[in-house]
Amino acid sequence: MGGRPLYETRGRRILYIGMRGQRKRVRETMSLMVEDLKVVLQKKEILHGISLDIREGEFISLLGASGCGKTTLLKSIAGLLEIQQGDIRIQDASVAGIPPEKRGTVIVFQDLRLFPHMTVEQNIAFPMELQKVPKDVRKKTVKKLLEEVQLTGFENRKIKEISGGQMQRVALARALAANPRVLLLDEPFSGLDECLRLEMGNLVKKLHQERKITTILVTHEKREAMQMSDRIALMSEGRILQYDTPRNMFRHPVSKAVAEYFGRVNYVKGRMKNHRFYSSLFEMSSELEDGDYEAMIRPYSVTLEREGAYTITGIAFMGEMAEVKIEVPEGVIVSQVMSHELERLGLEEGDRTGISIEENGVTWFRRGA
Amino acid sequence: MKDKLMPYVLLAPQILLTLLFMIGLVTGITQSLGVIPAFGLKKPTLLYYKEVLSRPDMMRSVLYSLRIALFSSVLATAGGVFFCGVCVMGKKTQGAVMRIIQLPIIVPHVVTALFIINIFSRNGILARAAYALGMIQEQQQFPMLIYDPHGIGIIMAYLWKEIPFIIYFVIALMANINGSLGEAATNLGAKTWTVFWRVTLPLCRNTIISGFLIIFVFALGAYELPLLLGATVPKALPVLAYQEYIHPDLRNRPYAMALNGIIIAISLISSLLYFLMMRKSVKCLTEEQ
Amino acid sequence: MKNKRKSIFISITQFVLLAAILVPAVTLLLWIFTERWTWPDLAPQVFSKRAIFEIAGRKKELLQILWSSILISTVVAVLSAVIGIMTARAILLYRFPGKQVVYFFTILPFMVPATVFAMGIQITFIKMGLNNRITGVIIAHLICSLPYAVRLIMDGTAAVGSRLEEQARVLGASPFKAFYKTSLPMLMPVILSAVSMSYIVSFSQYFLTLMIGGGNVKTFTILMVPYLQSGNRNIACIYSTLFLGVTLLVFGVFEWAAGRFMKHGGGEFYTSE
Repeated sequence: MGGRPLYETRGRRILYIGMRGQRKRVRETMSLMVEDLKVVLQKKEILHGISLDIREGEFISLLGASGCGKTTLLKSIAGLLEIQQGDIRIQDASVAGIPPEKRGTVIVFQDLRLFPHMTVEQNIAFPMELQKVPKDVRKKTVKKLLEEVQLTGFENRKIKEISGGQMQRVALARALAANPRVLLLDEPFSGLDECLRLEMGNLVKKLHQERKITTILVTHEKREAMQMSDRIALMSEGRILQYDTPRNMFRHPVSKAVAEYFGRVNYVKGRMKNHRFYSSLFEMSSELEDGDYEAMIRPYSVTLEREGAYTITGIAFMGEMAEVKIEVPEGVIVSQVMSHELERLGLEEGDRTGISIEENGVTWFRRGA
Repeated sequence: MKDKLMPYVLLAPQILLTLLFMIGLVTGITQSLGVIPAFGLKKPTLLYYKEVLSRPDMMRSVLYSLRIALFSSVLATAGGVFFCGVCVMGKKTQGAVMRIIQLPIIVPHVVTALFIINIFSRNGILARAAYALGMIQEQQQFPMLIYDPHGIGIIMAYLWKEIPFIIYFVIALMANINGSLGEAATNLGAKTWTVFWRVTLPLCRNTIISGFLIIFVFALGAYELPLLLGATVPKALPVLAYQEYIHPDLRNRPYAMALNGIIIAISLISSLLYFLMMRKSVKCLTEEQ
Repeated sequence: MKNKRKSIFISITQFVLLAAILVPAVTLLLWIFTERWTWPDLAPQVFSKRAIFEIAGRKKELLQILWSSILISTVVAVLSAVIGIMTARAILLYRFPGKQVVYFFTILPFMVPATVFAMGIQITFIKMGLNNRITGVIIAHLICSLPYAVRLIMDGTAAVGSRLEEQARVLGASPFKAFYKTSLPMLMPVILSAVSMSYIVSFSQYFLTLMIGGGNVKTFTILMVPYLQSGNRNIACIYSTLFLGVTLLVFGVFEWAAGRFMKHGGGEFYTSE
């Protein structure tokens, strides 16, 4: 089950197909449009018809496990890989046939690829040299960029002398020096510890706010994607599962795969009859038609009660939150509550508790789908 | 990078030179089969091969060359690999000492011949040292190491040149493997020598074999050393071939080519082996990352 | 204790090899100045500079041959490196049919001795008008030196990869600029090896030059051999010393030239990526 098409072409118009099937005319100030992209590497098809639109100045993330095709998509957009089918348009002009150096799509690679035989300044000045920027302007720009990435005074350092975190900033500065139309970041924070990751993430976000460059971040870290992006494209096995704002991805996942990607979920089977959902665990009114359904409930939508019919089989303390496993006739339900709430209720492992499901916290999936 | 024609443009000079090379090779083969239009020989025949393989003096040359080439190459490879191993395991692979040890590579074979004569001839340093130590009383007692039917002097000359060549060829790769994988193996509990035998050496195997093939074929077909250090009989294969080549009777030419043909046959087998060893090294890099 | 034993072992091995290399060099120098050294003395009885004066007398002719030999071999070396780079890039950075076949043919000259090749190609060179000419000698040397260059540079290109070039491309560099500014400096050490190796293979050629050059093209090696064959030990040793000295000098020049290309010391070559 792949993603459904996001676009439809009718004559010269391009229509965006929204969440509920409505069609919206797309304004032509799309910064980047990927249309039905198919890419084959070493005789294997990696991307199976990807479509994506990014607005001017938008910050989107390509999220997914290793091997899902994120880097391939990035490299195709930049022109480093040949495409078998489909089109890529930047500011409404197709870039098929345009070599990488002329597209204005700059990649910051996972392995950074700083030029080891050049100093920090020479690395950052490299793209400007290519654009024939005069020497004094280059020097000034390098200085300014180094200040922005908090590496003032690093001009003459050799690459092998600086730390991992510093290398990342130099790589960023170098990419910005190229004045890109689209900035592509391929897992730029891998290899950094949690602390540095956050720091670098904030830096990237800050630079984005200031410059409003259209940016694509490739990452496998959910938190990062959700925190930094305007929209997220969740990919799996060469397809886009869902492309939406972080909030919508979490609250209104289009499929189980998407739902499960963003966190643990509970499934409760039941039947819908006369606009009411019936299951062994709870009942709820709904607008959907009759039929067999599975209710998907996020742990934080499961509230606990002091007394009830079910037993707590495990409690995992995670700082502010706690994860509670509850045994129910159908199996196990996981609830996520604030730690202090747990204390207030005075619940411990082995205690009995009751469950109530928050009204807006359920997404229904038709069974058999 | 995606330009369809680019690889062919880049390969143009190589292809041209290869063409020229193949012409030389094929000419050699056809001439050995007796087809030399310029001399009026038109019919292909195996006559020359038959004669070459049946004449005892020619066969003796073939075996002489083969024996020397095989012996010296195997010894040189073993010695070179052993030395590489010792250095790599002792982590001493750079520095002045290594550069000096690789000096013989720039010494041409003809000068090596001179060295051998200086040291190992009956008039050389070694003989004089033996006399001074009382081991021999007369010059004649010192064994004949050059101009002898066994080719000992020649073998020593090859060893002197080819051990450093093998070292040069293999050491970078071996140091690299020993460093990364060797460390991992030691971490898992293996002793240094075991690491060498079971991890480093097998991974260097293909490179080592290709190095061996290079020096083997070179020794087989070399002219200078046997000329300067060899006995009158048996003559090395290329020396004999050249003799026939410049024979005033041009109809002797196919004999020369037949002798060359034998070398070519061995060469082709070696090329195949070399190719099989090294063909994985042509994997395309751009689509891997 | 074990480490010390190992270290001593290594030192002994290195010493043995060192001796094997330096002792012949010493004998070379000895013989240059030797006038009389009859059996069974361990050192020459009479020294003299006679041989050196003899050579000095032929200085002009000698320098001319030396110079043309160096020129021929340098041309061969540079051409080998350039073609080596082109071939290595074609094989490693592109996909095209028949790659294995091409690779096989690049290594073939390794496996066929120069003598066999020389005797086979002479008729063709005569027809092409290349026999007895410097161009012919250069081409013949090139064919035999090229596999060394290709092999070395392929190893180097594989280690450097195309990552830096890709980065340069997306930063706005044309394919050639990307290669020139990023990969080339990284490849300099291995290109230097290739140039040196090709040079020495060409400079040492005897039989090939003899055949293709005829009497016309004389290289230093060809000049040397008759003296090595005859008993004239002094001259032979002087020529040999000259040969080695000149070669080392040329290598020094190559290294200097490569250093200028590398600017900031190049990069690590065999590090893991």
